[in-house]
Amino acid sequence: MTMQRGSNVKGIGTAAAAGLAVVLLIVGIAAGYFAGAATVAPVTTTQTQTVTSTKTVGAEATITQTVTQTVTQPVTQTVTQTATSTVTRTVTATATAAAGLPDKVRIGVLLPLSGELGAIGQRMLYGAHIAAKIVNDSGGIGGRPVQIVAEDTAAVPDKALDAVKKLIEVQGVQVIVGPATSVEVATIAKYLNDRKVPAISMSATAAALSNLAKQYGDTYFWRVVGSDSIQARAIADIMKQKDFKRIVTFVVSNDYGIGMEQMILAQPGIKERHVLAIRYDPTKGDYRTELEQVKAANPDVIFYALWVESGKIVFRQALDLGLEKIPTMGGEGMADEAFFEDPRAADYMVKTGLFGTRPTYDPNTYSYQIFYKMHQQLYGAEPSLFADYTYDATMVAILAVAHAGVYEGAKIKNALALTGQYYIGATGMKALDPATGDLLSQDYLIWRVELKDGKPVYNFNYGSWSLGAGVVWK
Amino acid sequence: MSLNIAQILFNSLLTGSLYVLAAIGLTLTYGILKFPNVAHAEFITFGAYFAYTVADIWKLGFPSGAAAAFVVTGILGVATHLFLFGPLIKKGASILHLTVASIGYGIVLRYAMQEVWGRKDLYFSAYYPGFDVGPLRVTLLWLSFIFLAVAVVAIFHLLLTETKIGRAMRATSNNPSLAQASGIDTKMIIMLVWFLGSALAGLGGVMKASDTRITPVLGWNVLIMSFASVIFGGVGSIYGTILAGYILGFVENLGVIVLVALGLSTEYRFLLGFFVLVCALIFAPQGIAGITFRSIRKRWRAVG
Repeated sequence: MTMQRGSNVKGIGTAAAAGLAVVLLIVGIAAGYFAGAATVAPVTTTQTQTVTSTKTVGAEATITQTVTQTVTQPVTQTVTQTATSTVTRTVTATATAAAGLPDKVRIGVLLPLSGELGAIGQRMLYGAHIAAKIVNDSGGIGGRPVQIVAEDTAAVPDKALDAVKKLIEVQGVQVIVGPATSVEVATIAKYLNDRKVPAISMSATAAALSNLAKQYGDTYFWRVVGSDSIQARAIADIMKQKDFKRIVTFVVSNDYGIGMEQMILAQPGIKERHVLAIRYDPTKGDYRTELEQVKAANPDVIFYALWVESGKIVFRQALDLGLEKIPTMGGEGMADEAFFEDPRAADYMVKTGLFGTRPTYDPNTYSYQIFYKMHQQLYGAEPSLFADYTYDATMVAILAVAHAGVYEGAKIKNALALTGQYYIGATGMKALDPATGDLLSQDYLIWRVELKDGKPVYNFNYGSWSLGAGVVWK
Repeated sequence: MSLNIAQILFNSLLTGSLYVLAAIGLTLTYGILKFPNVAHAEFITFGAYFAYTVADIWKLGFPSGAAAAFVVTGILGVATHLFLFGPLIKKGASILHLTVASIGYGIVLRYAMQEVWGRKDLYFSAYYPGFDVGPLRVTLLWLSFIFLAVAVVAIFHLLLTETKIGRAMRATSNNPSLAQASGIDTKMIIMLVWFLGSALAGLGGVMKASDTRITPVLGWNVLIMSFASVIFGGVGSIYGTILAGYILGFVENLGVIVLVALGLSTEYRFLLGFFVLVCALIFAPQGIAGITFRSIRKRWRAVG
């Protein structure tokens, strides 16, 4: 063995001579490049921020809001915002600050522009364009215009990986908005870390995504929407407030359903009240035996996390089996009118008074009005689902580039945590945790399925939950 | 927690009835033509869609929808034989050719159906509210499924044992050339088998769909367990298939309880069904139809 090893080393040694020369040459060139690049970045960091807001409501409503902000290193940015029935916004940035930026600042966007979620993805993209337009109308980032480069993922993980590679390798993008779904994020996370390009999702809520930073060693995945773990806390609070003592969870057997079940069980005081967990197969199409077990467990509430198609069958069979006397709850995914397509499923939802949570924010803010008016102006329509969060994700990406002062993924990533300190988004405070990339707080509304004029509807004004105030019923 | 055993047995009967209806057609065509017709899955789906058209689009009611689906799917089966498999067999196609042709034909049918009825899930509007019978929660729909399946089994039994056509069918299945030599119109028999097999598949589709929903992949989800029933029951054996269908239905429902008790996803229920299937085949490779006391002892020795 030793003999062999010795001869191997000798063999490599001969070949390595030429190889080493090449490697040294490459290292030399790289070192030279980075030394050159390093001289660009200034060292000092100062940040000042003033926010003044006055509001007078009378015969002539006058509202004035001034946001003054100065960021030195590497951007000096002044944002003045005045509103008197019209909104004016000025962004000025000193040219010197943008020295490290390319002529056009490219923001990559990953969205499902085709496939099952294609229609919604197309309208989410409006949000990104609105953010770019608002910034470009005010002169871009230090005079450099922002350009949106969108790639279609069809909400399919494989395609998302292809699309992100295209963005980074072909288009040279250094910051990405998206992808929309949690499975796509899980698929591309390692690649993002390897290439050191941060992505900011507008709608991926799976709790497991909070672990990506730990798993890959650095935070290259961020999100401007609350993790399901905050929602689980809201749901657990509601369960305790309603004093449910025999809880059954009935979830679809995938990341979404099982994640939801585990997050809720992880909340203090829930495990003791939990009597049965059902994880069902969405392709089975017959859930009588599962529901029979629910009945036998004699619960005082059933918590559902279902997929719509199979969920309709679960509800219909639950009604057939006479489970309509047991109250029901659900998470965000259960607030979907597609459930009403099956009249028997809708009947069950109304009879059991299905209620649950959904992320929300106050639309009566300036930030939202800026987004809303621009959306009306450009697209002549009400913003559709998640267009608002896409707008915020894009704004956060743009602000991070401005703050970093260089178009370089790793530096933009470091700036992301800071944007939350001065950016109030259309969808509320966007304070991000640099350790996990998560949004630190999220408010939820409580909805309930009710009958209105003989038709099932979602009442989104049933109650609310927030970290500070807890459960509030309306 | 006390489980309602009666209800679980009842559910198993429901699941089993569906497998039986779908599998009888499969085993019938296999018995005579000696190839597995993969397009059988599409006959199941077709039955459901056609019944929907009659019942909910033409608004003729659910029972006439089911009856029409039975007849029209049967005719589709006959047409399939006349224009596809018949000519292929005449040209000397092997089992492999026929199987691959049936896969291709199935895909054509599935996409054609998707084009006609769309991708969106459809639902029968007929609604049968549940009521309690002793410890059981039943609906008229579920009761009629079980009644239908039992009726089909009884009719088949009478047909095969008591009628001339039945005997001719069995003869054709056992030895086609000898049957033809003894004056049996095997062509007629083959058409009849296609008609009955496909018609039952269509009816099975209506059953499954009225209980759940109609999708282009409805038949596919049933086909796998139908194939299992056919193999488990002993390929070509109708009685074996019937028994196997109900056994697999029971194992599946029992499996759900075991899986939930273990804290596992019910997605694994197929695993339990196939586990039983594999175990059974080790001891009785001919399926249930081939089980005799002697064969079990022989196998036991071979394995042990």
